[in-house]
Amino acid sequence: MENSIFEAYEDEIQSLEEEIKLLAEKYEDSQQESTFFSDEEILMSIKSFQREFWGESKGYESPSDLKALLETLETDLSFLMKFTGIRFTSHSKKTVEKTRNGTVRKHRLSGKCHSLSFQLEFQLLEMQNKDSVSTVITDLSIVMESGEDSDVSKFVSSTEEHRSLLTFFRSLSSYAEWYEHRRCTFLHFK
Amino acid sequence: VKQEETEQREEKLARLKARVQELRRQRDELRAKVDLQQKGQLGKAGVVSDAAQPSAQAVLEWKIKSVKAMLQVFYLTGISGKLTKQGVCFCISTAYEGTYLDSYYLDLLTKPEVRIHRHSVPTFIPLEQIAKKHLETDIRRFLSVLADHLNAYVGRRHQADQLQEHFSDQIEGTLQRNSLCNLLVFNYNLSSRSKTFPFNARLLYGDLCCSLPTEVTVSCT
Repeated sequence: MENSIFEAYEDEIQSLEEEIKLLAEKYEDSQQESTFFSDEEILMSIKSFQREFWGESKGYESPSDLKALLETLETDLSFLMKFTGIRFTSHSKKTVEKTRNGTVRKHRLSGKCHSLSFQLEFQLLEMQNKDSVSTVITDLSIVMESGEDSDVSKFVSSTEEHRSLLTFFRSLSSYAEWYEHRRCTFLHFK
Repeated sequence: VKQEETEQREEKLARLKARVQELRRQRDELRAKVDLQQKGQLGKAGVVSDAAQPSAQAVLEWKIKSVKAMLQVFYLTGISGKLTKQGVCFCISTAYEGTYLDSYYLDLLTKPEVRIHRHSVPTFIPLEQIAKKHLETDIRRFLSVLADHLNAYVGRRHQADQLQEHFSDQIEGTLQRNSLCNLLVFNYNLSSRSKTFPFNARLLYGDLCCSLPTEVTVSCT
């Protein structure tokens, strides 16, 4: 009889801890998604962070760690953009729903693949499994610069219907490369 | 002894109660914070803004998160990766329609020439063949051909899994398939007018870069 009181308290503790974790993540996500700092602000922060650090050791990250991490990440990103030909010009995401089962986020992405521009809006569902995270596209909308081309518009509507985001990027890559080849070839003959 | 036990129990109860109250307080505080945040985002006047001037560290941490998010988007495009001391480690992601499935790693060395250091590509994918043909002349093409094979394999496997899962009542026994999932054999039943007819289907996927069969044989057993 008394044990059931203990159990009830322990259950509530567990459920509260989970809720707190979710709320904290929600708060963090929201802060991240609604903030924006320009490149100058970031450069200024790097400089002033180094100055601040000599004054008092705040936190566990030294400025050189953070700066080095940022540089590594930016180098990797710049390499990928150069290698794949896909350059993202803007990206924003918003957490639509976050529960124990998973997180739904809405993404807005625009960029260029070689010379072809695209704009995407998609919804992503991420679910935590035992040892992995599963990612599913639950909604996809594509706008392409050369949308008037009937082949392109057929491809776009079929891709949207099946929410095949990966196929979109893979096909776009190869289409854009060949588009470049054709363009260069035509220019050559001019 | 009985006295001690009762005392211990009461102590434990008091501790649990205190913990619950503390957690409730934390939870309510966070809820209020999140609500305020939501209201702030709608741009309503009269809402006190949360933070003062953000610290330089906060700005940097924001930027780092932002770049990490961008790198994660590359995962959705099929080719992502990062530079390493001796070369580059690529990650090929696969998907079937809107569902992302397995990712495969290729750790490449770039000096003196491009070669594969380590990888997680399954043995039944002709990696060596593809590498021999394309790796040294055109890395992009190499990755693209490899991605074709991997995506097709994963697509076939996913479809077989889905078939097994969603039509388990019609399928007799289990789906027979090879590791490459390009040969599928199964028995199934179709019912019509209270009679069931047993069928056998054999699907052959002749094109390894395709997730649709090239040859299908259906027979009534």
